[in-house]
This record gives sequence, structure tokens and C-alpha cells, in this order.
Amino acid sequence: MKRLPKIFLSAAMVATMATSFTAVKAATPPDTLVQAWQIDDIITLDPAEVFEFTASEIMGNTYERLINYDPKDVSKIYGEVAESWSVSPDGKTLTFKVKPNKKFASGNPLTAEDVVFSLQRAVILDKSPAFILGQFGLTKDNVKDKIKQTGPMEFTLELDKAYAPTFVLYALTSTVASVVDKKLVMQNEKDGDLGYNWLKTHYAGSGPFTIRDWKANEVVVLERNPNYEKKTPMARVITRHIKETATQRILLEKGDVDIARNLNPEELAAVAKNPDIEVESGAKGGVWYLGLNQKNPNLAKPEVRKALKYLVDYAAIADTIMKNKGEVHQAFLPKGFLGAMSETPYKLDVAKAKELLAQAGLKDGFTVTMDTRSSAEVTGMAEAIQKTFGQAGVKLEIIPGDGKQTLTKYRARQHDIYIGRWGADYQDPNTNADTFAANEDNSDEAKAKPLAWRNAWDPGPLTAKTRAAVLERDPAKRAQMYKELQQSVLDDGPFVVFLQEVENVAMRKKVDGFILGPSFDTNSYAQVKKN
Amino acid sequence: MAGAPPFPQPSGLQAWLLSAEPNSRWQARFGRGYLGWRSFTNNPLAILGLGIVVLLVLVAAFADFIAPYSPVVGGDLRTERLLPPSETFWLGTDDQARDIFSRIVYGSRITLFVVILVSVIATPIGLLVGTVAGYLGGWVDTVLMRITDIFLAFPRLVLALAFVAALGPGIENAVIAIAITSWPPYARIARAETLMIRNSDFIAAVKLQGASTPRIIMGHVVPLCLSSLIVRVTLDMAGIILTAAGLGFLGLGAQPPMPEWGAMVATGRNYLIDQWWVAAMPGIAIFMVSLGFNLLGDGLRDVLDPKAAK
Repeated sequence: MKRLPKIFLSAAMVATMATSFTAVKAATPPDTLVQAWQIDDIITLDPAEVFEFTASEIMGNTYERLINYDPKDVSKIYGEVAESWSVSPDGKTLTFKVKPNKKFASGNPLTAEDVVFSLQRAVILDKSPAFILGQFGLTKDNVKDKIKQTGPMEFTLELDKAYAPTFVLYALTSTVASVVDKKLVMQNEKDGDLGYNWLKTHYAGSGPFTIRDWKANEVVVLERNPNYEKKTPMARVITRHIKETATQRILLEKGDVDIARNLNPEELAAVAKNPDIEVESGAKGGVWYLGLNQKNPNLAKPEVRKALKYLVDYAAIADTIMKNKGEVHQAFLPKGFLGAMSETPYKLDVAKAKELLAQAGLKDGFTVTMDTRSSAEVTGMAEAIQKTFGQAGVKLEIIPGDGKQTLTKYRARQHDIYIGRWGADYQDPNTNADTFAANEDNSDEAKAKPLAWRNAWDPGPLTAKTRAAVLERDPAKRAQMYKELQQSVLDDGPFVVFLQEVENVAMRKKVDGFILGPSFDTNSYAQVKKN
Repeated sequence: MAGAPPFPQPSGLQAWLLSAEPNSRWQARFGRGYLGWRSFTNNPLAILGLGIVVLLVLVAAFADFIAPYSPVVGGDLRTERLLPPSETFWLGTDDQARDIFSRIVYGSRITLFVVILVSVIATPIGLLVGTVAGYLGGWVDTVLMRITDIFLAFPRLVLALAFVAALGPGIENAVIAIAITSWPPYARIARAETLMIRNSDFIAAVKLQGASTPRIIMGHVVPLCLSSLIVRVTLDMAGIILTAAGLGFLGLGAQPPMPEWGAMVATGRNYLIDQWWVAAMPGIAIFMVSLGFNLLGDGLRDVLDPKAAK
């Protein structure tokens, strides 16, 4: 009997604790934006190396690039650090003027010297995204001669060919062309590394926010840059790493975070009913596709390639399994790119597919394997495709594996079918044309390994056409060339493109001004307000 | 017999079974079996376990008649996806618009397949290694037991994961991986039993009669180790089911669209808050079957283990 009061006491304590927790109104401070996001892909904060989804977005919000484009209309290019530019008559030299009176967050003035240093540094360090600049003939050895400062606020960029100016300018909108603070970076240089080891975890830019802190798999804290011309309404942006989407949803519903970034379709549908939460979506530069390996004798038949394009239930996948996460898209250029085709000529048509298979001599279908990353959405799409393939007698065996396994097999051309996502590297159509429609060398020992190579496809004349398109200086003609390339791949290519990726952001109603851009580095919170 | 109630009028068969002076070896064996069954039936939990296991076998055998829908081909994605349990879909539908009840029914075949195959592969290996090591002793014992130690040193699921990663995903490879990881405890048990038996008088008698070592091991040691091993294997079956489900959950067991229970739970994880039935139903199935095998193993131990006898 002596024990009883203790039990009552502890029960009472638990009860008060529980009620007091609910009584505390969870809310984020009015001048701070808090978001829940899976940020485990960040490996560096150096703009010369960043090539990851999350880190690209952080770069976009903290650094300024030479050139940028309007997120609402990609065709509108404007100078961010550049005031103006001109192209020489032979098309091989671009001259840029830098905006005066710009300052870095450190207080150092931003001049042409910094821009030249940043571009040269990216090429010399030669990290993953360096090829975006390298494709203009810039190498470690010649970059100091090709990019030259010609005045305090002026510099020139020399190309190896007369590329289309739009191609060059779009390439300069990518994060690799972010302008870093030369003085600050060089103060932290060690053994001639151009500040590489320091900048991995530090910040030296001029964007709307500065990076105060990054703890891997935990948090990223951005703080207002006092030297930025258009003061940000938010003093601080905190991104918390929340792995489980269900947890993100609960935090958002309770008001512990303002924005949740990774909710799945069912969770989005559920939070959309909440009056305090709204969901914004925007099409992204990623496409989902099936890669059909031409080394497989069945898949190499043109009729079979075409038949499989009629055996995907595009609309049903977009409406159910990938609801809010993807929209039907069949050309290799995502919407938002110059010359992108939005026509969707294929739909599920089992009768037609059977006819095509019969023409290929495969009346009774055939068996084929598909390497599938065992994540929920990929497996879901794979199973839906398996079902519709089966209706025409094509027996699809799904081989599950983790991302590394399937990708390694794909890169070695050992797959039959691969289901995957392709994200554009920069905002120019050449980024996808170069990989879907060009293949210089189809042998196993090829040096360049674009997607066409991975699927052992020789695109024939399309390769030359792709190369010609980057040299076409008239934007309208150039767009037409990309349309033709897309049509050819759509008709005969070994790619069944079925969805364009859509990104979703679920946020509390009071959050206003979040911009979802067409690429991962154009999502912006510079002008986010909280009402 | 002390605790058993007295029989007022033992019928003919019962009297024959319970006879204190059996006329043949067979009668004695049946008599022992009958006594074992009587003490087994005295344990209601063991009967429950047996019932669950029998039910699993029946469901697996008659899946074609029980399941109302196909386990693999789903319905209309737009209208029949993620439906809650109802009269048409007893346990609801999953993300591919497939009937979860039908999938669980067909999944019982996979579960049974895994359990039986693993015990068929792992038990003989364990038994052989254990009895040989125990009976021969010396360096054979040392070598075999160190190998066993190596396998025991790794956590079971991690080792199975490594094997599946090396062999490639698929249910057969999962079975092989689980079998490879589950024999060491059996070897240990068999060795311990053998050590107790090998110096017995009856073994010495057989030896004096000139029996060869293999004959002694196979004919006299193995049968005496069997009962405790059967108990252990039955108790382990729950673990085997969980390991198989774990591999399925990680995407390394059954290939989609096979209705493997672990893989079903894995898909359901994405709909846990709003569509709880997708993960809960196969989860309950795994729980029930594991519990059934555990209860059965417990009951069997009471009957078969001579040290636990009253």
C-alpha cells in the first residue's frame, strides 16, 4: 500500500508534463525560416565542386553568378554580376563588364579580378561540374590565357569554336560560375590549393544570404548578408535534416517547421486538406526514363522499341503512383528548356504494341529484365510498367538493387532495361541532347560515355546534328534543331521517357514568396516573408 | 504418469498403447509417442501454436481456392488503389491496387518455402558438423568449432545481407544466405549432446562389437541428438521468418511483384500514417506465424527434452 501514492504521483507528473507540452504553442520565430529537408547529399560548400541537389540550392541562395535567368521564363537571360556583355564578330570572344559598387559579404569589393579568379579556379580545380566550362575548350593549362582581365571591371572569355551565345550564357548560369571572394579565399589558401580545403566548409560570396554553419546530416544555417543590395526579409534560414518524410509531415503540421520538402504523394494529399498548409509545385529539369540496351537482340529491333513505348500507362502513373511528383512527358528535353517539345504522342495501346511485336517476330512476347533501384517510388513505377508490359506478353523481371549496384551495371552496359532519372546539368538544351542523342564511339572502350553509349545505341547522323546545334547562333533555328533531335529520338531512340519531375514544397500558409525555379539551383528564399 | 488423471476404463487401443510390458519395439515406440502427444495436448498454448502452423500449411496448399484475386496483377490504379479494408477487399488494397488479403495468402507459400528449405539445408549441416566434432574430438573438433565460431561472430542478419549482396537478390539466394548463417547454433547443440553421449556404456558396447566410426555417429549419436535439435529448429523458425522478412524489407529478398511479407511491409512504410493497413496486415501475418512457431517449439521442448521432463 505504501507504493500506491508513488504511482499516483508519477501518473500526475506524466499527465502534467503531457499537457504542458501540448500547451506550448510550437512556432518558429517570425524572422527565421525553418525547413525540414533530406540534406544528406551535401558533401561540400565550394561552388567549384557542388553538383548535388541540396547544395546547389544553397549555392543559388548564397552566391551570385555572372549571368542568371528569370525562373519564370528561362529564355530571359540577365546579368547578375555582369552589367553587360558583347560577342566578337567571329563569335569566339565574349567581353563582359562587371557591375560597379558590388560588395562581398566580407566587405571586399567585387571586381572583374574576382570573376576571372572564380572561373579560372573552377577549371583548374577540375571537380565534377568543371566540364560545364571545359566544353568551351578551357583546360587547366590554357585557362589563364583564355579568361583574361582587361580592365578593373572588364574581362574577356575566349572560346575554341564559335558556339551559340545562348549556349555559353546558359552554361554561365550554373553554380560552377558563382563568383567567389578572391581576397578571402586566397587568405585561406594552403599549399597552392586555391582555398579548396577551406571553402569546403566556409563561405566567400556575395549572395542574399551567407552560410553561417553546416553540420553534415544535421543542419545548415544561412544568415542575411548585410552587404546585399536587396535586403532579405528573413534574418535567418535554418534547414534541418529530417530523414523520414512522415516526421517532416508531423513537424509541419505542428508548426515546428515552416516548410517540408520531401513529402510523398499520399502525404501531400493529406496535408493539402489542412487549412494552415499550402502546397506549391514546379516542374524540374529531371526526366524519368527507361533505357533499352541495344546489346539485347530483342530490344535492338526498332519495332520492339516502339512497342514498349506503347506499353507504359503514362497517365495512370502520373495520376497515382507519382501524383504531384511527375507529369507526363516524352521528349528528352524537359519543359522550360529552349526548344523543348511538349507533345506526348504515345499512350497505353496494347493492341498496337502487339501488332508491332508481331511485326518483329515476337508474337508471343519475350522475357526481359529491368534493373530497379529498390526505393519506394522507383519500385512502384517499375511494378506498374511490369503490369502493362505483361498485357502484351512481355514478361518483365524486376531485379532490385541499391542505387550504386544498378548504376554500376548500367554504366557497364550489362543491363537489359534500366529505369532511372536524368537531371539536366545546366540550363541549355545541349546538356540533354549531348547525352540522349549523341554518341561518338559506340565501342566498349569509348572515352565519352553518354546515355546513348550506356544503351549501346549508335544514333547515326544525330551525333553530327547535336554538334551542329551548339554552333547555331540564331536561337529560333537552334530551337528547331533541338525539336528535330527530340522527334528522332522519340520515334526510334532506345529511351522511353515517361515523366518530367515535379518538385513539391509544402509550407505553412503564412510563408510567402518562396520561388520554385526550373532547376535545383534556382529555388530561392531571398524574398520569403512571413505574414 | 504421476500427474496424469487415472483412467476409469481404458479402452482397447489405449490399453495397448499404455501397456507396461510392450510386446514389440513398435508398440513401445507408439506408446511413447502417445504419452508425448498427451503431455503436448495438456499445454493449450502449444496446441494454439500447432493450430497456427497447420493453418499456415493449409492456406499455402489451398491458396488458389482461398485467394479471391490475383496476388500479382493489380486492379485499376485510379479507382482501386490504397482502399481501406472493406467487403470487397477484406484487408484493403496496396499501392498497386492489389488485394492485400490475396497477397498475404499467396505470401504464405513463400514463407513456408523459406522455412522448410532453410531447415532442410541448415539442420543436416549443423548436425553433421556437431556430431563429428563432438565424437572425434581432437584437432577435428578444434577446426570445426573454430569455423563455427567464425560464423557465430557475425550478426546473423548482417552476414545474410553480405551473402545476398554477393549472390544477387532473389528468394533462392535469400534462402541460401539464411541457411548459411543458421547452422552454427545447431552444430553447437549437437556437439554438446554428443559430448555427453560419447563416453556412455552403450557406445562403448557398440565399439567393442566392431562398429565403424561413421556407423556409430549415424546410427547411435545422431538419433539421440535429434530431439533437442528439432526443438531448437522449431524455435528458430520464427527467427528465420523474421530474417527473410528483413531481407525482403531491405529489397534483397523476393523480387517484386512476389507477395513476400517483408517486402509488403516495406512498401507499406510509405503510407504508414494514412493507409496503415498496407503495412499492418502483412506485419500481423508475420507476427502470427512467428508466434505460432515459437509456441509450437516451446510445447515440443516440454515433450522432447528429457531434462525438462517432470
